[in-house]
Amino acid sequence: MMSEALKTDKSKRRMGVVLNYGTLLLALVCFYIAEIDTWNIPYAIICLAALAGVVYSFMQVHMKTRLWHLAHARTQDLDERQIQVTHESLRHSYTCFTIISLSIFLIADLYKHFSSRAGELTLMPVIAGLIYLAHTLPSSVLAWTER
Amino acid sequence: MKGRKLYNRILVLRKERGMSRKDLAEKIGVNFQTVGYLEREEYNPSLDLAFRISEVFGLPVEMIFSTDPMKPLSEELMAQRKQAGGQNDV
Repeated sequence: MMSEALKTDKSKRRMGVVLNYGTLLLALVCFYIAEIDTWNIPYAIICLAALAGVVYSFMQVHMKTRLWHLAHARTQDLDERQIQVTHESLRHSYTCFTIISLSIFLIADLYKHFSSRAGELTLMPVIAGLIYLAHTLPSSVLAWTER
Repeated sequence: MKGRKLYNRILVLRKERGMSRKDLAEKIGVNFQTVGYLEREEYNPSLDLAFRISEVFGLPVEMIFSTDPMKPLSEELMAQRKQAGGQNDV
């Protein structure tokens, strides 16, 4: 019974992580499609709804579970198991962040080569997304792996 | 390096003493979730933590932790008593 409840909890957390990054990706894709095409109300609505999804899932996955506090706590406030799991989560986060960042820069560079309009596009949303990713990845890894 | 699995009697000893996970966690200086991990044998404690646990329960470390699956405490005490009896006979 107890383990069933915990399993449900873990799958809920995993769904939250997928929703969090999925809505972030949707917001970015929608932003750039609107930039290339023309901004209109449906694009704005989709972007805002996706950003609301990011905020909502962030609160559910990172804040409500207190995993954000665990991932950002000082070492002296953690016990030996927590130090071990946060260390592991940081290690995985560095790997994920490097792969994602390099992939994005590669795609951006390729797009610049093949599109004449690439110079008009701002990179700010992507950079903001990467900063968000860097801050949330450790607690997302914890949400994904912790029991 | 992945350490070998350690078996323990923390759950039985804690319940015997009517302690909650939170009580034990406060006494040994860890988060209460860590007590859960220890009880489920999903986390091997450091030597320092193992000694703190043994001090709280007032038992030697080898009575609480083992590298082999643990028998019930009563069974182990009987075996020890038998062994001590056999030595006295000699």
